[in-house]
Amino acid sequence: MRFVVASVDSLMVYFGEVIGAKVAKDVRQAFYTLREAKLSFVTDIVPSYTSIMVSYDFVHFTYDEMCEKITNILEKNAENHEELPSRIMSVPVFYDVSVGLELEAISASKNLSVEEIIALHVEKDYFVYAIGFAPGFPYMGDVDSRIASPRLANPRAKVPKGSVAIADRQTAIYPKQSPGGWNILGRTPIEMFSRSYDGLSYLRVGDKVNFEPISKEKFLKLGGVL
Amino acid sequence: MTGFRVINPGIQTTIQDVGRRGHGSIGVTQAGAVDEFAFHWSNKLLGNPYNTNALEIALGGLKLKAVGSIDFVLTGAMVDVSIDGHTIEQWKTYTIKDSEVLEIGFASSGQRIYLGVVGGFDVKPEYDSYSVSIKEGIGGLVLKANDFLPYTSRHLNESRKLPNQSQPNYELPLTLRVLAGYQWELFSEDEREKFFTSAYKVTPQNDRMGFRLEGQKIKAQCNGIISEAIAYGSIQIPSHGEPIVLLKEHQTIGGYPKIGAVIAVDCFKLSQMKQGSIIKFSLVSKEEARKSCINFYNFFKI
Repeated sequence: MRFVVASVDSLMVYFGEVIGAKVAKDVRQAFYTLREAKLSFVTDIVPSYTSIMVSYDFVHFTYDEMCEKITNILEKNAENHEELPSRIMSVPVFYDVSVGLELEAISASKNLSVEEIIALHVEKDYFVYAIGFAPGFPYMGDVDSRIASPRLANPRAKVPKGSVAIADRQTAIYPKQSPGGWNILGRTPIEMFSRSYDGLSYLRVGDKVNFEPISKEKFLKLGGVL
Repeated sequence: MTGFRVINPGIQTTIQDVGRRGHGSIGVTQAGAVDEFAFHWSNKLLGNPYNTNALEIALGGLKLKAVGSIDFVLTGAMVDVSIDGHTIEQWKTYTIKDSEVLEIGFASSGQRIYLGVVGGFDVKPEYDSYSVSIKEGIGGLVLKANDFLPYTSRHLNESRKLPNQSQPNYELPLTLRVLAGYQWELFSEDEREKFFTSAYKVTPQNDRMGFRLEGQKIKAQCNGIISEAIAYGSIQIPSHGEPIVLLKEHQTIGGYPKIGAVIAVDCFKLSQMKQGSIIKFSLVSKEEARKSCINFYNFFKI
């Protein structure tokens, strides 16, 4: 664990320097442990690939005091080796060149057929490392290296809502229409962020996600918009 | 029913309080008044409880008609203000009577004006805050023509004013105090020296999300980092080398190196700077940064 100042009321806790399963597990464990501790002086906790940011009541606690408190809580919990269970979440996706705007470009650059690209994207289970950038936007990995593609040189001003996209070895879903530079493979009819969900976001850090290919008819039936 | 009828909503007028905390892990940003100094003064002059909601008016152009009589105050950016054509002052409480029209011109100094009423407006909070997050479409209200802003009529016993000499001057050169943090170690001595000795100019890319600055380029020892959480005030250094200071509607996660964060009380000042304003950075210790911010909040919370 490495502590670093983030701002007057926030600090970073780093659990490693490279993305990997062990670090992700530590991040997730720390996030839920601190959240379950329901500390009145903690105002927010934001996990990501290798770190968490903790925001706190800086009027009553100094940075050093917070580092000590967090260390104590996490060390006490370290004896608990039980791995947090992952929810398995299914996300239906309509994969088609009409909505998967980069399927053909990736097909050309990777020398794979569109069907092969879809199969490689569907085949894996993805781990939700973080949710951010926009409400409900999940950062997931790891994408098969055979289809890993860099971000677009010219990001789109408008990525359609529900777009399922990849960037390098990450994959994500755009919860609403927004600017973005990821490579779009398909579209889901699922709402990623809604007041009707307990916790507001469809996905949570630590979930395992599998994409289920669906037909255009099913996509429309599930409320998808083309 | 008492309140304001919107005749002209201005360029962008929203309801704000100090912002929304506790939802960062699902990507929901903080939002809130970008200039808390002017925002808290509006509540203090009205005798409101800490964090009562108010209108944040970007640049001006707002025109409202009173329905019933309303005690209010205007703080923040300097604008011409009138009630039925009669000029009034800012940083001073007034009563507007039924059917009178409050007209706010365009800011001659500063960027954001706050309009507070006794007890705040009767609108619904969302996820524990009244603050509008424009990009996310969350919270309160973005004013449109013909909207009605309801309010429960309460009156002050006497008019209150912040003395002229205590009112902020948004034309003064600004030095932002920076707390070293995040990827500080990825910036060499030379790069840090450049950053803290150069003057930067506010570009047209400045809004509630952040301020992009123009000037001496600095370089981190890497172009990108593993994406991580971002705090209010963070200074990102993208590969083009010019700093971006992130304000209330900052994205929650990002992958650019950060040299540190501007302390909150100085972010409030930055938010009032117009395009072309010159700013500098200075390094501050953890202790001094904390003390400055504690003094600020202690003053307004009492």
